[in-house]
Amino acid sequence: MAKISIDPITRLEGHGKIEIFLNDAGEVQNSYLQIPELRGFEKFCEGRPVEELPRIVTRLCGVCPEAHHMASAKAADAVYHVDPPPAAKKLRELFYCAHMCHSHIAHFYALAAPDFVLGPMSDPAQRNILGLVAKVGLQIGGEVIKHRAYAQQIQAVIGGKATHPVCAIPGGMSKAITEDDRKDFEEKAKSLVEFSKFSLKLFNDLVLSNKEYLALITGDIYTMKSYYMGLVDAKNKVNFYDGILRLVDPDGKEVVKFKPEQYLDYIAEHVEPWTYLKFPFLKKVGWKGFTEGKDSGVYRVSPLARLNAADGMATPLAQEEYDKMYKTLGGKPVHATLAFHWARLVELFYAAERLLELARDKEITSPNVRTIPTATPDEGVGVVEAPRGVLIHHYKTDSKGLVTMVNMIVATAHNYPAMNMSINKAAKGLIKKGQPVPEGLLNMVEMAFRAYDPCMACATHNLPGQMPLEVNIRDSRGEILQTLKR
Amino acid sequence: MKTLVLGLGNPILCDDGVGCRIAAALQQKIDNPDIDIREESLAGLDLLELLSVYDRAIIIDAIQTGKGRPGRLYRLGPEALAQTRHAASPHDVNLATALELGEQLKLKLPREIIIFAIEVEDVTTFREECTPAVLKAIPKCVEVVISELQKPLYQSLPLTKGD
Repeated sequence: MAKISIDPITRLEGHGKIEIFLNDAGEVQNSYLQIPELRGFEKFCEGRPVEELPRIVTRLCGVCPEAHHMASAKAADAVYHVDPPPAAKKLRELFYCAHMCHSHIAHFYALAAPDFVLGPMSDPAQRNILGLVAKVGLQIGGEVIKHRAYAQQIQAVIGGKATHPVCAIPGGMSKAITEDDRKDFEEKAKSLVEFSKFSLKLFNDLVLSNKEYLALITGDIYTMKSYYMGLVDAKNKVNFYDGILRLVDPDGKEVVKFKPEQYLDYIAEHVEPWTYLKFPFLKKVGWKGFTEGKDSGVYRVSPLARLNAADGMATPLAQEEYDKMYKTLGGKPVHATLAFHWARLVELFYAAERLLELARDKEITSPNVRTIPTATPDEGVGVVEAPRGVLIHHYKTDSKGLVTMVNMIVATAHNYPAMNMSINKAAKGLIKKGQPVPEGLLNMVEMAFRAYDPCMACATHNLPGQMPLEVNIRDSRGEILQTLKR
Repeated sequence: MKTLVLGLGNPILCDDGVGCRIAAALQQKIDNPDIDIREESLAGLDLLELLSVYDRAIIIDAIQTGKGRPGRLYRLGPEALAQTRHAASPHDVNLATALELGEQLKLKLPREIIIFAIEVEDVTTFREECTPAVLKAIPKCVEVVISELQKPLYQSLPLTKGD
């Protein structure tokens, strides 16, 4: 294979880019995912009061501002050595469960389901939410919009505005909710539980009962054996807002449980010459290149990673679905990348059930939602599960609370090595020597990447309102043979 | 008739925030109960929810065509975005798809949507200022939006022709 060097200028176009290199024989030699990098955020934060960071970090990206807000607030709590009162923690978690519902509904219906309901090779003009709604019915489309709006409205009431929340501050929350709010949340949560149930039924009827799709999900080209990391509660159940990080190996055995502030003892970063982004790996296993299995330090975060890393779900109906998923897919852990979608729906169910539990909690309307910080600020780490996986914020400040250091590891960074490998495996499995590569085939390569729900913090709100993605197929001299642009 | 003037973008990501800056400037100049002016960083389905209570929407955002000089202003209709409707975004659908979904689901959508897009230079550096050429274009964009608002529905200016 020709030496690969990709002009740095092409890295900065704001595109997500998949480069597929063929060898002299015309087979896939290797594939690379490039993610545009935003610059200067750490510098932007330096010198600012740490209590402003939960509001500033919501501007990191248009996709999960709520996750950044919560991770940042938790890091700021830690910087000030302050423990929020129970009602504040519950309110944050309630808000956060609404965020999970909002995000998971969008990903499943707009991004994942079209590939299965319409078929991965179907006409791209139909293979989207419009085609999906045309096929499953307008009423279901209306339910999708309605339940996303419910989740959004709950976030808006607690968060102060629909996106870019301003509610969490060091030591707790800036305002409590009223009994009227609580009643409203309870009704919406009930409806979200029903909608989650319905979504899993839809998945069962349209995807699982189709042998071809089940074979696709469990097939080799979309399977990758890795370590998994996720946040768990004291009983090792999945938790999105709080807990400790648990790591399991490719056989599903617990390797370690560690507190968020110990993350640097477990995660190191590898640098490659062809991308600005670093590749996180497990320090104790080591970086062994882009390889699968127990000897490789590559790990994954995601809905499926959370389920693999935990012993179950903390709510009854989600637990039933959890058991069903593992039973159908042959036990724990599951390594099928396309099963991320199924795991996402199990999590949607849990998020809705937990939302309902919290909306019925007697303490949720307590006015005691803040502990005023009194300690001298210094350093802190905050971790939450973003919809797409573990999100770590780490801050240092001077004694006045002015930021001197910011370090963040976002879910897409944790998954960067694994995403490259998943894409490469799909490309090698799908693109055959001398055979034409129709759009549908490239879509199937892209499916390996889309399952991760990657959050690239780039042009999401530039017109035309989506992240452009480019897939290039190059020959052994690096000449482009085919390009797919979105 | 309710009109939404919506500035989109990230106010701390250099030129990406130009839409928000224009909306903020308009806020200072317009005082009309029938016109809501908002700054948001939304896309796709969230945008659909926001738009679905208005009769008319004017959306102001950054654009990178890679062809125009920074600061150039384009006046576009939603159909100009139709070629990008495939749901290929890893996060959300694009605006054209979201609007089409709104029609499919018979949501109440604005009868007219006009998009003002400003050609930008830097959308990858975190800073509060725009680049000079984009900054210079803001007052003109503000004036253009104000004159758009004074026109009756469906009698507005022609759209920018595609390059």
